[in-house]
Amino acid sequence: MTPIAMTLTQTLVIALIQCVIVAGFVLTLVPLTTFAERKVLGYLQQRLGATRVAGGLIGVTGGLNRGMWAMGKLPFVSILRGLPFFVADALKLFLKEDTVPARADRVVFLIAPAISAAASLLVFSVVCFYPGTLFTFPAWVPVIGNCPLTGTIADINVGLIFMTGIASVGIYGIVLGGWASNSKYPLLGGLRSAAQMVSYEVPLALSLLTPVIISGSLNFREMTRTLAGLPTLDASGQVLSQMPVLELIPLFIGFFLYLTCGFAETNRMPFDMPEAENELVAGFHTEYSGMRFSFFYLAEYANMIVVATLASAFFLGSHYLLPFGLQHYIPESIPVLGRPNLLFFLGKIISLLFVFIWVRGTLPRYRYDQVMAVAWKYLLPLAILNLFLAATIRYCL
Amino acid sequence: MFDATDFMEINMGPQHPSTHGVLRLKLKLSGETVMACRPVIGYLHRGVEKICENKTFFQTQVWTDRMDYCSAVANNLGWAESVEKLFGITVPRRAQYIRTMLAEYNRLASHLIWLATHALDIGAMTVFLYAFREREQILDLFESFCGARLTTTAFRIGGLREDFPPGFEKQARAFLDRFPSCIEEYEILLTENRIWKKRTIGVAKLNAEDAIALGVTGPVLRAAGVPFDIRKAFPYAAYAEMDFEVPTRLEADTYARYQVRLEEMKQSARIIRQCLDGLPEGPTMAKLPKILRSEVNEIYHATESPKGELGYYLVGEKGSLNPYRFHVRAPGFANLQALPHMVEGGLVADIIAAIGTLDVVLGEIDR
Repeated sequence: MTPIAMTLTQTLVIALIQCVIVAGFVLTLVPLTTFAERKVLGYLQQRLGATRVAGGLIGVTGGLNRGMWAMGKLPFVSILRGLPFFVADALKLFLKEDTVPARADRVVFLIAPAISAAASLLVFSVVCFYPGTLFTFPAWVPVIGNCPLTGTIADINVGLIFMTGIASVGIYGIVLGGWASNSKYPLLGGLRSAAQMVSYEVPLALSLLTPVIISGSLNFREMTRTLAGLPTLDASGQVLSQMPVLELIPLFIGFFLYLTCGFAETNRMPFDMPEAENELVAGFHTEYSGMRFSFFYLAEYANMIVVATLASAFFLGSHYLLPFGLQHYIPESIPVLGRPNLLFFLGKIISLLFVFIWVRGTLPRYRYDQVMAVAWKYLLPLAILNLFLAATIRYCL
Repeated sequence: MFDATDFMEINMGPQHPSTHGVLRLKLKLSGETVMACRPVIGYLHRGVEKICENKTFFQTQVWTDRMDYCSAVANNLGWAESVEKLFGITVPRRAQYIRTMLAEYNRLASHLIWLATHALDIGAMTVFLYAFREREQILDLFESFCGARLTTTAFRIGGLREDFPPGFEKQARAFLDRFPSCIEEYEILLTENRIWKKRTIGVAKLNAEDAIALGVTGPVLRAAGVPFDIRKAFPYAAYAEMDFEVPTRLEADTYARYQVRLEEMKQSARIIRQCLDGLPEGPTMAKLPKILRSEVNEIYHATESPKGELGYYLVGEKGSLNPYRFHVRAPGFANLQALPHMVEGGLVADIIAAIGTLDVVLGEIDR
């Protein structure tokens, strides 16, 4: 299908609509993840819920408390108890005073959270949520009538490189935030994060190279199709190339390598060095409050979503049902299971987000030097070997 | 040799999530390595010892609750026994048994707090909430026995104010039946966990020689291979009649202390069961005069609190209602001395593990 020629205005408007949808998706998923984190950790740790421990009955929080009690009495809504915490959280963050420490580097201090948050959101611009066209605008829509809405904002052919590059920019937010605070604990946190994230970038990038070698492409849409195991067809329907089944092995190993590095890149347990709360109080964001703090928070959770998205896109078969390139066993003629589906993709992302929370509830934290040892001594050699394996299989088969 | 800028001096505490209250550490760091560590104490000083020299012997008990607030019953037991020793009072056997049992429940509660906070400091946050879940039930037991959960003032000089309330024994046994499975849960999460082992094995070592020289007692000493437990060495309350073991380890590191304390919890459960099974009948209070007036006398009475040797030094004055001199040998105070020795040369994260493994409670250190 050749895309119809669009004017510059139409392209921009379409891109804007896509941005709004994707940003809306991410910014909805972030608070939902924090909510899920509370819920899942609550179940894992057998905590009593906030309905039982929340204190006040007057004012805004009192109203929310009473709302939660009422929700608990309804049969199906009771699982959502704690949902009003969204509102309370947002209110708290909005109403808090935005303080800047004395003799902090003001400009850098104020700009750092924005760098983090912007970088983590920008990554989604090249993510292919759905191959091809989601729907076409009907003719009566002004300006963009008859224009297709694709599942990717920017379908560029160096998507992966763009993605890893932008993701690295996010580190600046943390390092600069820690440095500009003019405080010792944030400084330690910032230094730790600089060292840690730079170290983990290496095995992370190497583990992402495995799918690149297998698919022979850097374009997100093409990669996901090849990595799902589907053959590339030429115009007449002849099979040009297909991923060898044996590539399943490096993909499988690569998935765990990538996920481990992803945990470190997003500063989640067991690698949450930059903000190890029991050592560095709150790490790089100790001095931040209010909305600026919440931008760091947003960046962390958005990064989790990035990692979950990439892992499910490259390793778990993205919008196809089966992971690790097994999709070709289901013929495309089968109605739902054989076709790409946005819901499969979302399901995989959400399952991986659950794994993030699950691990947090289970594992203790590594020590700083051990975190580095894991990266350089174990993950890096493993990633290189895995890459070698993938290349060998591709060369021989 | 070094520039002033080679080191970063940093204050850990008194307000810090892992300094267990208001401990302040002055650290000198080179990168993440600890070059020097100086504990600064006194932020919770209330002058308990001096206050108690102006209180009658009966009134002082409530102050002992507030020293090591995680093990109030153990403090109460030590105090009651010290005064009884000063005045030569014999406590009825049933009261001894109940005291022993409650003190062991308190050891469980205190060790659970240690496990909870220690694990949380190292990052295992689920263990924290699991341990608090069990501790809650022990506090419920205390509440049904004496009406208070934390500051118990559980005993009276000469025995107990009241016997068990109805239903207490059933509740106590129900907890004991459930407790082994709880310990198993902690062990599943921690004992063979690679990260936990990496964070604790070989960390904050304190060998037996140094431990003895620094006056360290309790599980920290026993993890260095010294089987010194006052319950065995100088039995008090009903411990002479109990059958239990003193767990020791030779590794003298954080992991060994973890193992020792877990084993101690199992032994405590064993002692409690023996107390419940062999509980003698009889009165729970000795005959006492309404007012205790001391003679010229001097005693030191040591008990094994969950943290180590808790000693009370009392000097009596002729005809006085209050002690002439009162001093507490708090186990945490002596144990904290070992902290610089344990952490210097290690990393910042090891300080957190070391504070946790020493199980310091600032209430008893500052008094």
